[in-house]
Amino acid sequence: MSRTRILDTLRAGLAAAPLSVPEPPARPASLAVGPDAWALLAAVLEPLDVRLRVAKNPAEAATHVADIARARGAASYARWQDMPAGLDMDAALAGLTRLSPDCCQALAQVDLGLTFAQAALLDSGSLVLIAGAQRPRSVSLLPPTHVCLVPRASLLPDVSALPELLSRQRGPSGLLPSCLNLVTGPSSTADIELVLVRGVHGPGALDIVGLDWDL
Amino acid sequence: MVLTSTFTPRNFREQSERASHDATLRAVLDHATRYFMGKRGAALEAFADRDTHFARARSARLTALSRLPDLLEQLERSASAAGTKVHWAADAAEGRAIVTGIAKGCGAKVVVKGKSMVTEEIALNPALEATGAEVWETDLGEFIVQLAGEPPSHIIAPCIHKSRADVAALFREKLGLADLSDSASIPELTLLARRALREKFLAADLGVTGVNMAVAESGSVILVENEGNIRMSTTCPPVHVAVMSLEKVVATLEDAADLLRVLPRSATGQKMSSYVSVLTGPRRADELDGAREAHLVILDNGRSEVLADPVLREALLCFRCGACLNSCPVYQTIGGHAYGSVYSGPIGALLSSLLLPAEDTRDLPFGCTMCGACKKTCPLGIDHPNLMLRLRERVCAGKPHFIGAAHAFLASHPLAYRLAVGAARAVDPRLDLLPRLPGLPSGLASFVESRQPPGLKSSFSAQLRAGRKKQGGA
Ligand code: SF4
Repeated sequence: MSRTRILDTLRAGLAAAPLSVPEPPARPASLAVGPDAWALLAAVLEPLDVRLRVAKNPAEAATHVADIARARGAASYARWQDMPAGLDMDAALAGLTRLSPDCCQALAQVDLGLTFAQAALLDSGSLVLIAGAQRPRSVSLLPPTHVCLVPRASLLPDVSALPELLSRQRGPSGLLPSCLNLVTGPSSTADIELVLVRGVHGPGALDIVGLDWDL
Repeated sequence: MVLTSTFTPRNFREQSERASHDATLRAVLDHATRYFMGKRGAALEAFADRDTHFARARSARLTALSRLPDLLEQLERSASAAGTKVHWAADAAEGRAIVTGIAKGCGAKVVVKGKSMVTEEIALNPALEATGAEVWETDLGEFIVQLAGEPPSHIIAPCIHKSRADVAALFREKLGLADLSDSASIPELTLLARRALREKFLAADLGVTGVNMAVAESGSVILVENEGNIRMSTTCPPVHVAVMSLEKVVATLEDAADLLRVLPRSATGQKMSSYVSVLTGPRRADELDGAREAHLVILDNGRSEVLADPVLREALLCFRCGACLNSCPVYQTIGGHAYGSVYSGPIGALLSSLLLPAEDTRDLPFGCTMCGACKKTCPLGIDHPNLMLRLRERVCAGKPHFIGAAHAFLASHPLAYRLAVGAARAVDPRLDLLPRLPGLPSGLASFVESRQPPGLKSSFSAQLRAGRKKQGGA
């Protein structure tokens, strides 16, 4: 059987030529997440053509989301059912048709997808989206515009924070969530003549609203 | 360079010679390698504690190799616990049989593929097509070379050898967009590809991708990309198959994180690629999207035998960032096609020599100036020149490579056949022409890779063409 043969060959190889791994250097200290965190995030997002709007309270967040929908010319939206408490996003987007994110076919008709990040990484500007029952993966993928809410408490230094974040999300059986996506800027390609184009298969526009209060 | 049916690692010398006289190719390569090196250089300049991060990344990969059999067993356990079906493939033929079995099992009519070198290595597309399915490469560059019936020419940028006018001509012909002008802009061409492929994603029964890493402790597969086509391929179709070469396993999520710190920076100069997916099992019962059925194929295809060589096994550390290609004066001169196999550049010459039969690859380790640019560039500290020397010694001593009978398929499957088919398809898009191709043994015809599915023009909906007209060509 192939499985046995492969494993046996590998074991024989390591027995013939043992491989010892020298202790690696310690991981360098991560960036501190301090009062300038929003500024750091905005700076790393800027070259990715992503604008960060920071809201001081739920009313400001609603205004930002409505502004984004207008600026992007969206007529319809779909959102994660699960949203940070105290935010009435349906009121903010009252002028738009809300579509249900039942499946990819449905989401392909939607102009704007609204999600929230379980974390955002300051080093790279990555949003951490964790799929779940109320959080379909395609909301951040199929519509041409993706709007993501980032709570202040979710700001983390870099990707080295991911293992712990994931462990905290383990289900009762110890399983990790089925899907975690790091989203860093809009979908992009430079495949034709190395000219950068935003929005090839995923959203061409990504807008982030920082929620700068304790949720 | 005009692609002919003679491309194989066996003809590396002659192909290199011809490529180096191709002025257009040289200009394209010059542009591309400078572009990638420039981006990478700037990113690494600004990368605090770079050398420490590189050392940790190397350590994560070394750890994986040092515990490879145990980690693969652990991966199998944890992935199975998450609901993923794990398969083992000793060679390309078994890999193809597993994936086509899954395709038949789910009655796949439309298959969408994310960019993956390993599925190229096992020539999966023609096998899937032989089941009667349409198979679509969905990475923009891969899609373009698929339409053209050509092999990809660069790990990171598969169609760098094509101009926008070439692409417009191709779309005009293959997507039935008769009024598309040669002066169509690059964003316009990209939008047309988005529409064409969106249709396929929504219709797809099966998504096939490679794997950048698989995490033994959690059973997760990690996929790294910029376009979103891999996310689409794992989110929309009901079934997802991930094909991994066995060395891609890492022990822990911590190790994966250390590698993610380095891989995008070294590949494209990005701090992080646009999308990184960490997938653990199929969608849960209460989720609305994501594949309902997840498969992981662990492929050997010659690698396990390399682990016994203390020098050459370094090549298995590679995580395919592509940086050594761009840094290599030989690659800068001859480009990817001349290597005649899936893998090109310094690491490609090494991998092909290790995975393909000795008699086909004897020239590859000599196509190297020993300048050491690759070694200097590699974030994982792979000492390519040293490995080349070791291979040269083997060639001169007439020693066989690692190849066993199980890998004999690859011997009979040089790029030549794929290209021969591409040429045949240009005349007659039907597969049944293949056995009649001169120089193509009929027994191999079914393995021949075609990157151009049958009935191409009719494969896209009328809406795609109408949609374009409605938009006035925008
Ligand atoms: S050998 Fe090193 S530089 Fe070359 S692709 Fe692999 S990891 Fe990158």
